[in-house]
Amino acid sequence: MIMFERRTLRRTLLSAGLVGAAAILAIGVAGGPITASPGTQARIGAPAPAFQLADSNGKTVSLADYKGKTVVLEWSNHECPYVRKHYSGNNMQALQKKWTAQGVTWLTIISSEPGSQGYVTPEQANKLTVDRAAAPSAVLLDPKGAAGRTYGAQVTPHMYVITPDGTLAYMGGIDDKPSSRPEDIKTAKNFVDTALGELAQGKPVSTPTSRAYGCSVKYSS
Amino acid sequence: MFRNFWANIQTVPHNPSHPTRPRLARFGMLATVFGLALCGPWAMARAAPPMRELVQAELIAEPAAIRAGEPFLVGVRLRMKPHWHTYWRNPGDSGEATSVKWTLPPGFAAGPILWPTPSRLPVAHLMNFGYEGETVLLAEMRPPAVMAAGRPVEIKADVSWLVCEKECIPGETALVLTLPAAASGAAAPPNQASRAIFDAARAALPNPAPWGARLQVGQDSLTLQIDARGLKADTIRSAYFFPFAETLVQHAAPQQLGITADGLTLRLSRNALATTAPREAGGVLLIEEALGGTTARQAFTLANVGVGQAATPPTASIAAILQAALLALAGGVILNLMPCVFPVLSIKVMGLIEHAGETRESVRRHGLAYTAGVLGAFAMLGVVLLAVRAAGAEVGWGFQLQSPVTVALLAYVLFAMGLSLSGVYHMGGSLQGIGRGLAVRSGLVGSFCTGVLAAVVATPCTAPFMATAVGFALTQPPIVALSVILALGLGLALPFLVLTLAPQLLGRLPRPGPWMETLKQLMAFPVYATVAWLVWVLAQQVGPAGLLAALVGLVLIALAAWSFNVAQTARPVARRVALGAVTASILGTGAVVAGLAQDRAGPAALSQSASAAAYEHFSQQRLAELLAGNRPVFVNMTAAWCITCLVNEHAALATASVRSAFAAKNVAQLKGDWTNRNPEITRILEKHGRSGVPLYLLYAGGPDPIVLPQILTPAIVLGEIERIGAAPQRRASLSIATKE
Repeated sequence: MIMFERRTLRRTLLSAGLVGAAAILAIGVAGGPITASPGTQARIGAPAPAFQLADSNGKTVSLADYKGKTVVLEWSNHECPYVRKHYSGNNMQALQKKWTAQGVTWLTIISSEPGSQGYVTPEQANKLTVDRAAAPSAVLLDPKGAAGRTYGAQVTPHMYVITPDGTLAYMGGIDDKPSSRPEDIKTAKNFVDTALGELAQGKPVSTPTSRAYGCSVKYSS
Repeated sequence: MFRNFWANIQTVPHNPSHPTRPRLARFGMLATVFGLALCGPWAMARAAPPMRELVQAELIAEPAAIRAGEPFLVGVRLRMKPHWHTYWRNPGDSGEATSVKWTLPPGFAAGPILWPTPSRLPVAHLMNFGYEGETVLLAEMRPPAVMAAGRPVEIKADVSWLVCEKECIPGETALVLTLPAAASGAAAPPNQASRAIFDAARAALPNPAPWGARLQVGQDSLTLQIDARGLKADTIRSAYFFPFAETLVQHAAPQQLGITADGLTLRLSRNALATTAPREAGGVLLIEEALGGTTARQAFTLANVGVGQAATPPTASIAAILQAALLALAGGVILNLMPCVFPVLSIKVMGLIEHAGETRESVRRHGLAYTAGVLGAFAMLGVVLLAVRAAGAEVGWGFQLQSPVTVALLAYVLFAMGLSLSGVYHMGGSLQGIGRGLAVRSGLVGSFCTGVLAAVVATPCTAPFMATAVGFALTQPPIVALSVILALGLGLALPFLVLTLAPQLLGRLPRPGPWMETLKQLMAFPVYATVAWLVWVLAQQVGPAGLLAALVGLVLIALAAWSFNVAQTARPVARRVALGAVTASILGTGAVVAGLAQDRAGPAALSQSASAAAYEHFSQQRLAELLAGNRPVFVNMTAAWCITCLVNEHAALATASVRSAFAAKNVAQLKGDWTNRNPEITRILEKHGRSGVPLYLLYAGGPDPIVLPQILTPAIVLGEIERIGAAPQRRASLSIATKE
């Protein structure tokens, strides 16, 4: 309908566009960086929450003690059918032996409150390790559930993998077959074994989270 | 007889107290079953580990015999020991869903498990979803079209479950059900014993939701928006969403309910396990509705829940903002061609042509003032939008079009503008209509106001075209959302801004002349088209009476415009009359708009209900007439905002069996709508001790009706209808009553 002088139009459009872009940029910068609200729970890629717990030999252990090492956290309740699934078939013990032999620290944590299913005294904890031929680096006792709640551990077994620099690299179930049938282990994909293998090769963890399955952790209410 | 069809009940899961190897446990299970069969009570007591009492499982069928090609329901009935529970399809934070594996005769097919509405089962700070007491997992079986008659059919179900109180024990069993096959054509004998169980199981299923739903995904939160329009905040006690997906929400986090005229919103916490945006957002919505003194629990399946785009990761934001803003800028430029904007802009450009003699500086300032007006209006709209969202309501672009009052007002403003363009009246005696009128009074303020006007009239046009893009922006942090909205505004202002910044372009514009008046009058038609569109939008929101009122408002606007024009040219006396007419017309329009707020259309699902056709409108007089004619009458007092009424319609009153039973007994049906608190209905509610709807009355002969419960099942209604015939027969003759 209306003819414009091309060159003028182009120049004008360009300057208007620049003004607009600058305005938007200014607004964006003035608003400051856009960050996620800090979560209290464990998050993949963030520093794993610190904890301090007594082990079954009465020694106080904190996560910071293992800086420089890959750490596995395994929430356990030996009376839970899902935990038994992995211990009766020697699955969990084999995994512990395989990875502690390669320098990984494996911490089994028991968060059952006294009097509830899975609760053990330090002596019982040591006896349990012998009886089920387990091979963790240490068994940590968390009867008040403080560490469990910090990590958001919901079930037994709930698994976490922490890199040598203290970053949370995996959290979730032990494998992808949420059942209590030991025969399902053979066909399951073990997420913890995969994550540890990938970390050992310096690769990123391909499945950093999965739905944890099992019995609820018997927390103190 | 019926008992024969029940399957073997005994179930033995792994022994919980001693760690046993699974093989041994399996053997133990077999041994227990055999032991029970052979040795009777002693064996039962002896081999009764906790599991026998924990879960009793049965496989039951609805019909006593099945027929070729006729689907039927079977149910896995699980009865748990008190305080123990089994799990729903999404068990929540721990636990495992019950699974059923069918082994069927050739040609048979099984449908999916129909899960009853679960309960919330909190454990410490965790949340599980499942069933305590008893549950029946229904599934539809489809027999082949051709079946050998007389040969019994065997259906096998391998059921495994996890049963928990605080501790959890897995269990499994193989259930077998043998059903005789009836000859086709023969009436399937009803299975009386299982009827109550299946009726209860059907009642425990969620109903399909009559509303659409969407899920907006935020950084840490999810907002579920349910389009249940017109609900009343004071009747909804609570709402809870059970998601199907296990990694969608933090199950134990509280769900924050918001109720607006446009529906329900539930603010959920996003599950930390989900690293990618959710895809599956379906689930079951449980609503507790206050019904007078009691509370009804209504569950709905939300399927096909649309998922809004996830927020982009904050690290990539600068590039993302720029990209979105540039797109919005381009969109804004295109907006200038929209039928509601183009006339406004044209008026403004014509203003420039007319004032071609003004200095460059002055023209430039007009352009900047116009741009400021557009940006100011867009910023205001954006801030309001964000504030409303922050307050918990889930609104989108074009939210202003969800209120019939706003739609009507916009239609009136545009209509008035159209009339001005058509030359019905002249604002401020100028040829240039309102935009120009504003401009004349004080140059720069006028240009600013034209900018605001352009933005305001542009929004109804933007709604359908820009909704997706702006909707995306709104899922972003406020600063990004505002940037995108402002970019859209800048785009809208840009063509005019360019014209004023480069006044040499003005020289290229055609010279002023009579063609401007013709063009202006032509421009009225896209404006009228927009008015027509807005009236169409309005027609979806209000009833026929409301639509008529809105159209009367348009007539009044036209009257006001014409009177205004008369007033400007008439002598003093006539002028006063004309101005009176203007005032009266505007007041009348105001009354129309106020009336619109009252008249909102009810939920579509209710008006579409299948049984609606059979109903007459309730009135006391009509009821008296029908009763005088000795006809049985069913009275249904309902309201558009009553969820329980809606469910009763769907699950009981509109079912084929109830409708045919009403027809068979020649029952007249009267429906009273209490949506707007009709006093005649209020009196009837009070007479029956109710403070609200639903109220169902069945006049089965005689002046006193049977009052049905507030929550209906087909069985309840059918039971009452059956009694209609019985009472008069007894009165008439004893011999007839005993004949059967």
